[in-house]
Amino acid sequence: MRPVPTAEQEELRQAVRDFCAREVSPERLLAWEQSEDGVDEQVRSATARLGWLGLGIPASAGGSGAPLVDVAGLVSECARGLLPRPVLGALRGAVALADVAPESAALADVATGAKRLALAIDEEQARSADRFSTIVSDSEGPVVRGTKAYVPDAVASPLHLVAAREADGVSLVLVGATSGAVVADPVRSFGGDRQAHVTYECAPVLERLSPPGGGDAALARLRRRQQALALAEMVGGMDAVLEASVAYVKEREQFGQKIALFQAVRHQIADMGIRHTAARHLAWQAITRLDAGCEQGHELAGALAYTGRAFKELCFTAHHVHGGAGFVVEHCLRFHSERAQSLAIRYAPEAPALAEIASALLD
Amino acid sequence: MDYEFSPREFAWRDEVRGFIAEHVDDALADETRERGNEGRGPRGKQFLRALKERGWWGLAWPEEYGGLGKTAVEQWIFIDEIESAGAPMLPLTVTSVAPTIMRIGSEEQKREWLPRIQAGEIEFALGYSEAEAGTDLASLRTRADLDGDEWVVSGAKMWNTMAHTATHNWLAVRTEPDARKHKGISMMIVPMDAPGVSVQPIWVWPGLRTNALFLDNVRVPRDHLIGERGMGFYYAAMALNFERLAIGSIGMARRHFRDLVETVRTREVDGRPLREDPWVRERLARLQVEIDAAAMLGFETAWALDQGGVPAAESSMAKIHVSELSQRIADSGCEILGLNGQLHADEPRALAGGRMQWLYRLSPMLSFGGGTNEVQRDIIGFMGYGLPRK
Repeated sequence: MRPVPTAEQEELRQAVRDFCAREVSPERLLAWEQSEDGVDEQVRSATARLGWLGLGIPASAGGSGAPLVDVAGLVSECARGLLPRPVLGALRGAVALADVAPESAALADVATGAKRLALAIDEEQARSADRFSTIVSDSEGPVVRGTKAYVPDAVASPLHLVAAREADGVSLVLVGATSGAVVADPVRSFGGDRQAHVTYECAPVLERLSPPGGGDAALARLRRRQQALALAEMVGGMDAVLEASVAYVKEREQFGQKIALFQAVRHQIADMGIRHTAARHLAWQAITRLDAGCEQGHELAGALAYTGRAFKELCFTAHHVHGGAGFVVEHCLRFHSERAQSLAIRYAPEAPALAEIASALLD
Repeated sequence: MDYEFSPREFAWRDEVRGFIAEHVDDALADETRERGNEGRGPRGKQFLRALKERGWWGLAWPEEYGGLGKTAVEQWIFIDEIESAGAPMLPLTVTSVAPTIMRIGSEEQKREWLPRIQAGEIEFALGYSEAEAGTDLASLRTRADLDGDEWVVSGAKMWNTMAHTATHNWLAVRTEPDARKHKGISMMIVPMDAPGVSVQPIWVWPGLRTNALFLDNVRVPRDHLIGERGMGFYYAAMALNFERLAIGSIGMARRHFRDLVETVRTREVDGRPLREDPWVRERLARLQVEIDAAAMLGFETAWALDQGGVPAAESSMAKIHVSELSQRIADSGCEILGLNGQLHADEPRALAGGRMQWLYRLSPMLSFGGGTNEVQRDIIGFMGYGLPRK
């Protein structure tokens, strides 16, 4: 066992940490929040130049061909440093396309950041793929019809990876979003990932990423990898929230002493530490097993159920120990709290994760 | 034992409900939420005018001051019904500052301030906390020195909510710098238009505005110090006591929970009613039980007040329970609504009015605001169960 990063992984993490320390400030966080795109071109292109977007893309397509665990390490540090969610979205898109279609012609553009790719795999009232209302129709060449909901970075991404029903199953297809056949209607959500409801009106398919109707397994695999990256994102956020809380209670004085000297405060920090440490190991265990090709087992579900809840609890406690000082809009804490809920809702809902574990135990 | 309201309490609850049915609608509730701390909008003003015309402005005031002299249980019923309806609550000027002036002010001060409060001419911001004096309020440094017939006030206050719309500040200041810290504070009324007063906005996470207040050699008439010099810490505690029932009220959370339940009733996911999901049913049922428990804790506080007690431990229990329960309601609500649970309240697609997401952003404040929960837990230990302090 080696529950710590390798020297190379640590080197990359340090580089990301340095980058975030230079580029992320309260003023820029507020500016990104108010911007249409959720990020500015300088930061976006800088991350592309550093090769981060291509980290998980095969070398043959211009990427670094790094394993999922390395990409997760990068994502975790980006989340810790509050790099804008659209940067993380670009990383997610790259990982998804590289996994589903490593030979895709679009990969090169995604690796360099020339084109962003949005993942359109959720619908308003369908969690199961066999309930999707979007369909791929092949009457005049393959086209996509229907509406996908809560699609992150949909407006800014010229490429959409869409999961839609076809025949008796699901197809994964690549759609060009710049044609008039794709209409993205932005929705105001928290979490900073610039979501939209996207209507595909006979949108031509650029590339099939799975056999017609045969993409169920690929979609499930894609989702698991997205969940693994969410675990990394959550752990990075928890690192930052705990670190900020420890620093604050050591600095803040009330009643003539540091508040860290009050047992009631120390115990809260200790409880945060327990949750953080357990979540970190559960998360990295799940990520490394997935990276090693283990698609079965309930480690991922367990890590999602535990980490999703732990991150939110850490945020509530962190707000509490910070008091008003951590509640102002400029403070980093509320960005982490928004991401905690946003990540838990999309990637780590507790009910299905617990149901999977119960099924492993009982069925 | 009897857990039923008395006929008089039932009649009062029905009267309040009748008033709400007549004067509160969704537009008023929306306006109240949207305005936040920006003062009242036209509907809110109209509602408070109606409350005033009904004679409910001085609901809790003794009859000798023109109030209705309602019991604490009746006040609790009123607060619960109004908050549950999403209507604006009576301002702290009338529910907290005015009753304090009635207790501690000289006859001249009562004649000066109470009629103006009753007429709605005066609205206070509450100036207690400072950057370095939050939970440890007695460490406050804003200072007032007597110069002839005037106090000269200098310093800075934090979290001075409503300072930008108020006419006056109800300010805790240090007037006796050589006294022990709890004994050196006085309460003072400072007009917001006095030279040297300035306000800087502070925006907090749920999109609400609060303020930093700066006082630079502000000259205040000597008689604006209310009550006795050096007793301000205890007066501030007294004013806070008058807020006990409101701070521990479950009304607001209950309203949002009700909206969540209504949404779950009609929502379908994967072609199945969401209400049939066992996990959703268990979550909602558990929250309902906790809401019922919160109501009992609030009732206990009100009842104890009516018995002439000082229910410090009871009100602390209610405050802790409601603040932490609000976080659980918000969190569960966001989870139950799924991806829709991330949508802002002003997003037309947001289910349950986007209130779960808004409550998720608001609720962390409830555990440290109004007396942080650590101190409330200490109060329960010391005052409720006689635990030793040292």
